[in-house]
Parts: sequence; structure tokens; C-alpha cells
Amino acid sequence: MVRKKVPEWLNSTMWSTPPPPSPSLNDDGLLRNSPSTKMSSMKKEEDTISVTPPPSTTASSVQSPSAKPRNNGSSSISGEYGNSSVPPPSSAEDFSRQAHLSAELSKKVINMKELRSLASQSLPDSPGIRSTVWKLLLGYLPPERSLWSSELKQKRSQYKHYKDELLTSPSEITWRLVRSKGFDNYELKSGSRCMLSRSRITDEDHPLSQGKASVWNTYFQDIETIEQIDKDVKRTHPDIPFFSAESSFARSNQESMKNILLVFAKLNQGIRYVQGMNEILAPIFYVFRNDPDEDSSSHAEADAFFCFVELLSGFRDFYCQQLDNSVVGIRSAITRLSQLVRKHDEELWRHLEITTKVNPQFYAFRWITLLLTQEFSFFDCLHIWDALLSDPEGPLESLLGICCAMLVLVRRRLIAGDFTSNMKLLQHYPTTNISHLLYVANKLRSKMLI
Amino acid sequence: MVLVLALGDLHVPHRAADLPPKFKSMLVPGKIQHIICTGNLCIKEIHDYLKTICPDLHIVRGEFDEDARYPETKTLTIGQFKLGLCHGHQVIPWGDLDSLAMLQRQLDVDILVTGHTHQFTAYKHEGGVVINPGSATGAYSSINQDVNPSFVLMDIDGLRVVVYVYELIDGEVKVDKIDFKKTSTSNSAP
Repeated sequence: MVRKKVPEWLNSTMWSTPPPPSPSLNDDGLLRNSPSTKMSSMKKEEDTISVTPPPSTTASSVQSPSAKPRNNGSSSISGEYGNSSVPPPSSAEDFSRQAHLSAELSKKVINMKELRSLASQSLPDSPGIRSTVWKLLLGYLPPERSLWSSELKQKRSQYKHYKDELLTSPSEITWRLVRSKGFDNYELKSGSRCMLSRSRITDEDHPLSQGKASVWNTYFQDIETIEQIDKDVKRTHPDIPFFSAESSFARSNQESMKNILLVFAKLNQGIRYVQGMNEILAPIFYVFRNDPDEDSSSHAEADAFFCFVELLSGFRDFYCQQLDNSVVGIRSAITRLSQLVRKHDEELWRHLEITTKVNPQFYAFRWITLLLTQEFSFFDCLHIWDALLSDPEGPLESLLGICCAMLVLVRRRLIAGDFTSNMKLLQHYPTTNISHLLYVANKLRSKMLI
Repeated sequence: MVLVLALGDLHVPHRAADLPPKFKSMLVPGKIQHIICTGNLCIKEIHDYLKTICPDLHIVRGEFDEDARYPETKTLTIGQFKLGLCHGHQVIPWGDLDSLAMLQRQLDVDILVTGHTHQFTAYKHEGGVVINPGSATGAYSSINQDVNPSFVLMDIDGLRVVVYVYELIDGEVKVDKIDFKKTSTSNSAP
């Protein structure tokens, strides 16, 4: 059988990530976010891939003045540039992209297509932009700026209504009923002696009621879900103070996340709460809560709820066990990824699945269901999510493309490795230059259309 | 929102075999945070059964209890309320409000829970509230042969308490409700 030749462009050293033990020049020119660079300086491995600007740089005609050509063998690609080991906080390219984005965002009617293509190359990390762009991309805010305030008001009051309806404790409900009926509550330690009068409520609600319509009964049934949510939220991102510090800010953030997940679980009795939903909520809530705009930040909970629902709606079927083996289930998504890899790189696919028998389920399951939140650092994830959310066909297509790119980028090591080392590599994916990853994913995708 | 179960005077096995099945079907574990028991269980098996409903169990000694280690009275704080517990055979005349009010002032509690009369009552006086959950098995008492099984569930939520009274009358469970509240946490001056 004729082995399909590895395509030429794939063989260029551009794709491979040799594992250098020594830290090399900090390569993430486009990762100008300072927390990210601090984190990357702590990483043990650094990529030596030269950074090529993304193909469709309509926004940046100006090269970074501080660019220096990299001392790398494979530097024949035009337009490449690299940064010195301490990248300036924002280069000219960033400024122009930011300016372009801000211009786009301040229009009266935002051109969604333009916004999507801008976002697909990663948004700048300056405060406020990501929050607004994500809200637009997820359809929470309409493209017409004038409708924003009314939309927001309506959605936020709807969320408040949900919370009142679903999250009130049964005690609270009982007392509201009592007050509404105008009963006079006895005051302890006041007035005369008397027998306390009782009202018969056999047919109404009481804590030990086992009736289906009983508020108390549903409350006790939800306790298990509440405990699960509580446990998961407490474990979310323990390294990021926003989520897990001892401060009251972190605690209120955790409370908000718990509320969102609980309201979602109660509104969607079909899938309830599944472990991992907290990981999908975390970036959304983080971005919205850190919006410098007071109004947005204080309503982050309500906004995050709707955006979370919107994002999850594309992936709902992955969380339903009965749908696992169906056409829309997680297995079919994993199969699709596998087919994608086979299409682009038969040799790698063959080596992975047949020679070393690394079943894609072992690594792709977590990649897909958690939208890559567990594979990269939190701030890198935000960049990846920019690309995911900007896909007009829905995040799943981009996701599969990025997963395929992830495999292709480490192909040298995968092909050289056996089952154990491949599994280890894929389950602890090495830190990569995110913009490069996105570039590769884009390239693969455009190849598919040929 | 704390659920506290108050019951007592079961007199198992001497005067009753067990709690009524309708009560047992309602008392499932996981719902109740505390149990306060006025005494006269009388045997360890009932103690263990109550422990399965809720691990936080407080019992005081009734005159027929086989375990002599239970205290005569007990006080505990749940939420904003102080609760006092005593079997009641020590308070003479049995079931008399004035004497019970004296005991309540002695223990300095907002809600006093006592038993012994095997009759549900709920009184209010200047010092607070006195609740008698009755007999959970409907065992006869020295003063009353015909007793309806009853127990009490209190829902303590902040400064408010809702008392649910569960009684078995003619084979059917009847539920009553009493609400009362406290004005504020008054720190008692020494």
C-alpha cells in the first residue's frame, strides 16, 4: 500500500517543537500581556519557533520598530519578526490592532463579519475590549449599539427573576407567604402570656413533605447538585487569586459562579450540572467581572449566565450521556478530530492510532469537552477562546482545527515516541506559543478548503 | 435555614413498640440538622435510630431512661436562638406554665422544650416560648391514657422560627404551623 507522502509544507522546521532544556529567547511577541509573560518566564520549556504574523494582517501595515530578525535556521519566511527577551508591553502592531478594534466597536452598527475576523487573531488584552467583544460574538449584545441598554436591562432583570424564583430558600418562601397573608407574627418576649395559636397546613407545604410540588422536597433533592457545584467551584483555578484567594472578593466571585451554575442546572433538568461546567464558566466570568466599566462589572453575574448558556448550547450534547454514541455526541466529535488528523497528516495518524494505539479518547475528550481550558494557562486560554468564539460556524469547528494543530505541532515527538511517552505528552501538552498555534490551525483549515 | 427536630417520651419498649410508620416514613436522613429529645426513649436502640436521622443529637434524662448518663438539662444555641431542654418531670406541678417559666429564666433561653405530659402545647410568656412536643409514639402517660402521637419540627431562619407540629390523628398525619420571631439579638446584660 502506498504510504501517503507527508506534505512538503508540513516538513518545514517551522512546525516542529524540539524540546530545548535551556530557556531561549522569549518568543511570544504577540503575547504582550504581562501576567502571561511572567508565567512564560517561569515555564521550563520555551519555543524556538519563529513567530510569523498571521496571514491576514489587514490591520497592521506597520512593522514593529523593535523587531529584530531571529537567529534561527528556518527564517526564510518573509515578514517574520521576533522580539527581544523582554518584549515591550505593546508594540506598534498591537496599537494599530487595538485602534482598529476600538474603531469597529464604537461604530453605531457593528460589522460582525469584520469583528469576527479581527477577533480570530486574538484580541488585545487591554481592559474592557475582550468583555465587549465576547458579548457581541456570543450574541448577547446585538450589533446595533443603540439597542444595547434596553437589551441589557431586559436580560439582567430576567436573570434576577430566575434567581428569585429558583434560588430562594423554602424558609424564605414560607415567610413571604405568611407576610402576604397579613398574619401577625408573634413576637418573642413581648406582651402577655397566651397559648400560641396554630394554623392547620396539612395540605400545604412543610419540610417533611414528600409531594412532587413541594418546595421543600425539590430543595432537598437539589442539595446533592448544590454540594457538587460547591466542591467544583472551590477547586476552580486555585492558582488565580480572582477565584481562590481568601478575600471577600474571591468569595463573592465563587458565590456568583455557584449561583449561575445552580440556576443553569435547575433550568435545564435534562443535563443538570456536570463536572467541568465550572471550567467553562470561569473564563467568561473572569473576563466580564474584570471589565473596567462599572456597570458591566457589577452585572457580570447576569451577563456571564447568558453567555455561558449560549456557549454551552453548542456543546450541550457532549454532556448528555445517552447521546455519547450518537451523531451529535462526544464520540463522533472525537472521531471527526481523528479523521481531520488523518486527512492532514496520515503518517502521524497512523503512528498514533495504529502503531502506538493511542486512542484519541484518552486525550481529546478533555480537550473538547472543556474547550482546552485545562491544557493551557488561563491567560493563554483567553486568547484561544477569542479564536473559538469568533468562528462564524460555531466554536466546535475551530476547536477541532486547533486540536488538530496541537497534534501536528508535536508530531516529531509523537512519531518518535511510544504509547507511554505519547500519552504523557498529550495529557500534559507542552506550553506553546498560542498565536503560532492559532496560525497553524488557520492554515490547516484553509488547506481543507482546497 | 436550620431544621431542628424536637420529640420525646417514646417509652420504647415499655409502653409502645415503635414510632408510627407514617412518622418513620417522613423522618428521612439528610433533611434535619439537629435533634433535641426531651427524654424517656428509653433504650439504646431508639438512640441509635435517632442518630441515623441526624448525627447531631441532644438528649436529656427522663425518669425511665435506661442510660443514666444523659444530663438533667441542656442548653444550646442554634442560629440566633438559645434553646433549653429538660424532660419536665423535675418541674412541679407537671406542665404548669409558671414553673416552666421559672425554669426558662433559670436556663436563660428563648425557647424551652420540655416533655413528660405527652401532650403537645406551645405557650408564650414574657420570658420566651415553651414548647412541648408531646409523645412521638403516643405512649400513655401517668395522667392521660389517650395520647395522639406528635412531634415538632422547627425551622430556624435568622430571627424567625416556624414551628411545624406533626400529629397523628385517627391514622392521618396532620400538620400545624406556628410562626414567631425575635426583634434582635439582645445581648443579655450580666
